Amino acid sequence: MYRTYPYAILFVTTALLQVFLFDNLSLSLYFDPLVYLSFIVLLPLDIAPVVLLGAGLATGVGMDMAMGTAGINTSATLLAAFVRPAVVNFCYGAENAREGGTPSPERMGRRAFVRYLAIVILVHHALFFTLEALSLARTLHNLARILLSGAGTFAASWLLMRLFTAKLPVRI
Amino acid sequence: MRKLFEFIRSVYVAVLFVMLEAAAIHFYAHSTAYTQARLLTRSSRLAGDAHSLIGGVGRYFSLASENRRLVERVAALEERLAAYSEAEKAQLLDSYLEGEQDAKYRMTTASVVAGSVNRTQNLLTLNRGFRDGVTVGMGVLSATGAMVGYVVDCSERYAVAMPVLNTQFRSSGRLAGTDYFGSISWDGRDAGRVQLTDISKYAEPAAGQEVVTTGFSQYFPEDVLIGWVESAELNETNTAYTVSVRLAAEVSRLRDVVLVGNRDREEVGDLQEQVRQNGGVIAPDRNGNNN
Repeated sequence: MYRTYPYAILFVTTALLQVFLFDNLSLSLYFDPLVYLSFIVLLPLDIAPVVLLGAGLATGVGMDMAMGTAGINTSATLLAAFVRPAVVNFCYGAENAREGGTPSPERMGRRAFVRYLAIVILVHHALFFTLEALSLARTLHNLARILLSGAGTFAASWLLMRLFTAKLPVRI
Repeated sequence: MRKLFEFIRSVYVAVLFVMLEAAAIHFYAHSTAYTQARLLTRSSRLAGDAHSLIGGVGRYFSLASENRRLVERVAALEERLAAYSEAEKAQLLDSYLEGEQDAKYRMTTASVVAGSVNRTQNLLTLNRGFRDGVTVGMGVLSATGAMVGYVVDCSERYAVAMPVLNTQFRSSGRLAGTDYFGSISWDGRDAGRVQLTDISKYAEPAAGQEVVTTGFSQYFPEDVLIGWVESAELNETNTAYTVSVRLAAEVSRLRDVVLVGNRDREEVGDLQEQVRQNGGVIAPDRNGNNN
């Protein structure tokens, strides 16, 4: 597959960041960024849906093991991976997506990329925090968690995207 | 037939998604804090050492304050020890003869290597396991002796504890100096406050009053500090108070913890299980006494 090694490194990096940095930050009950989602977000635009779903499954199961969350990460990440092609088509157009490449503002246009990133993160976080709270009684409280944590994930994904798509000068 | 294959080809991703999603949600729906602890214990085996390393760097910066608090604690305990050794020297000698095995509680220490407080079901990973004599059901106290939680799973070298900041945590609490008790739980909203529910309406909890453990739960010794009453309100039916308790232990800043094991816990548990199996009826003994 196209750019396999960079993606393998991205997968490991996001997983390590999540488990060793963000899971231990414990800043607030309302701020729990789920950075590993950047991996799903940054996979190539023309990736086959079934491969995407597989990547979602692997990420979710890995994170569930590491966080001890028994299936919440898996269900949320699977959903994000499943809706991603539709979101890409909606924000960027199916024709354009077929050309492939890593999602980035340069390729998709700033507006389209921001919308794409925000929708995927919102879908993922909405399911994650709803399942975690398992009650609709404190909707406002949950909404605050989804939005604030989502903002954190958004910022972290943006940074990772910048690093990942940066054209580093190769000097040997 | 060809059409069928084409149909399957067009929807198989969706079908696969639904199946996997259903499996994940099914697994979550049937999981308990214990399943989650088990998962964490497994992954601790892989990631525990890295956690310890990173935790070690973080610990370095809190050594000074940690040390100060420990010294204060040592001084307080020293003082109590002096009082005991004066007044109960004889009894102390007796208990030496009985041996350590007979003391009801045994204590050991551990460090928190990983943990969260920003979820509704938080768990702490500790760097002691079976090998160090840690068993499931041991109570976890902070270095200053306040209640934190209890061990729910254990591996060879690591243990996972459920702190009070987990919506599945249940224990009992008592207003210090009275006989009124209720149950302690967390509503998942504030990492500094827990709820003490079902306190009798005659209790009249006052702000600042201490809340301590009851010793019913078998996890904790009696009179371990949980926190202080912050506010109290009567429930809708005016039959009981729900008390908001400010936690004495700062779970987010926990570094070292004390583990308390109750040697009688299994025996009491077995006994209770026996009674439950007998349908709640205690079989009369040979003399016909129902006690």
